[in-house]
Amino acid sequence: MQEEPVVRLENVSKIISSKAIIDNLSLEISQGQVFGFLGPNGAGKTTTIRMMVGLISISKGDILICGKSIKNQFEEAIANVGAIVENPEMYKYLTGYQNLQHFARMMPGITKQRIQEVIALVGLDNRIHDKVKTYSLGMRQRLGVAQAILHNPKLLILDEPTNGLDPQGIRELRDYLRHLCRVEGTTVFVSSHLLSEMELMCDRVAIIQNGRLIDVRQLKNEDGVAVSAAEIAFDVDHPQQAAAILGVDRVENNLLIMRVSREEVADINARLVQAGIRVYGIREVTRSLEDQFLEMTGSEQIG
Amino acid sequence: MANFYKLVLNENMKIYRRARTWIMLSILAIVSILMPFVFFMAGSQENPSVWEVVLLTMTFTFFMNIIFASVIAADSVASEFSWGTIKLLLIRPWSRSKILLSKYISVILFGILSTLMMFGVTFLFANIWFTYDVGSTGLISSSWSAMSYTLMILGCKYVELILITTIAFMISTLFRSSTFAIVLSLVVLFSKDIFLLLLNPDKYVWMKYVIFTQMDLKGYIDSPVGPGGSTLAFSLIVLAIYYICFLVLTWVIFNKRDVAT
Repeated sequence: MQEEPVVRLENVSKIISSKAIIDNLSLEISQGQVFGFLGPNGAGKTTTIRMMVGLISISKGDILICGKSIKNQFEEAIANVGAIVENPEMYKYLTGYQNLQHFARMMPGITKQRIQEVIALVGLDNRIHDKVKTYSLGMRQRLGVAQAILHNPKLLILDEPTNGLDPQGIRELRDYLRHLCRVEGTTVFVSSHLLSEMELMCDRVAIIQNGRLIDVRQLKNEDGVAVSAAEIAFDVDHPQQAAAILGVDRVENNLLIMRVSREEVADINARLVQAGIRVYGIREVTRSLEDQFLEMTGSEQIG
Repeated sequence: MANFYKLVLNENMKIYRRARTWIMLSILAIVSILMPFVFFMAGSQENPSVWEVVLLTMTFTFFMNIIFASVIAADSVASEFSWGTIKLLLIRPWSRSKILLSKYISVILFGILSTLMMFGVTFLFANIWFTYDVGSTGLISSSWSAMSYTLMILGCKYVELILITTIAFMISTLFRSSTFAIVLSLVVLFSKDIFLLLLNPDKYVWMKYVIFTQMDLKGYIDSPVGPGGSTLAFSLIVLAIYYICFLVLTWVIFNKRDVAT
């Protein structure tokens, strides 16, 4: 029997005044991943997230969270979710602690001890009894994360979580999300348009544009090791001749370019050397997610 | 499931942790002390009785009470939207109907609290400066005892309070603007008498079915026939229908609404 994915979007569409903001989006996210949701501004990331947490209605299709429909079994489905949608807005006239207490009361079985635990985890011990209006954006973000994880949700949804965080804050958040994912088995769904950030944070990413899914790709394998999507460039004295030997014909700037695995690189090198070709350098042609993303989305306009 | 009582506790926390709420309650308390005091200082030969002082004072302070309760009601839903906290509130394992109900209950509880406080303070201070055994000043209708007459008037005003705060709560939910909700509910509160003057229900029969006409039940204390020849039962049914419609509309819209930006 196949394991039920934590999130399943089934042909989801959102139509506002006869315009499809989200168009037939299908996606499955299995347990224990950090899943990135990537797209330029206006691609429909936030709209999708709002549908996932039931803030806006789903025009067509359905979203299942742990097998429960957010449409028809809202209370059961949402009980598995912790989320920050856009900015972490809190009750400013209450203290951080009162805010957490407020959200803790809305969920079953959250003890005082758990609240303290979460406060310590996000590092707000010193300021938790101050009013939220005195907090910096970074602290509000931490409080936002705290309210989202209070009930140990199976799925954590964060919309643009790195907005307004300083580099150290981003780093802490990243480490923290990894920890949640590895230790507690939480599935994390993050949206962002910051590509370099996503590359560091996520196991898999989905790229959407104009409400359509363009691509889903694996960035890291099960053990958290980056999946190499890189091409290898061989710097040799006679590229054409070398290409003939290897049976490939892709030569750019006098470099022989091949998409091969790590082991194959050594073999190819050995063959070239045996054939009497001088190899000056072997290196990866790194194409960052950013390049790929721009390649895929760059030509289209926001419409 | 966590229990519903905690949701009401949350809503109460959000009302009573705000300085504004205590300022409003303080103003009510101060006015409730000042008014009897002014009557006492102005004390002429015709000394009013305790119940008359309570009635006179509360005729005025109840107006403020309704305004303040409307402010709380108008802010209850609209402020969650303007702060953006509605997004965090609605993604909990509670249906929207229950969340809205907890808000409505907290608003009603505030109305009860402010009314009881006001009555308690006024009554206490009226007892300090006035006595019961004085000749009637004609303020209180002779067919009732002073106490039951006063309490009945207050009961009628309380019905008005519930209706006005429900309207404020409805508009707050419908338009997500607390300013609009406060203004509109106050317009209802202040303009209903003008409406009745302009469109006399004795002349225009349809006015009998308009909420403005029926909102004030005080007339029935002295006379069994109300505006436009309607009876008490008729008035109550009209009010109940309006009340239910307001609530249904509020709940339906809140459940259907897309929460975006």
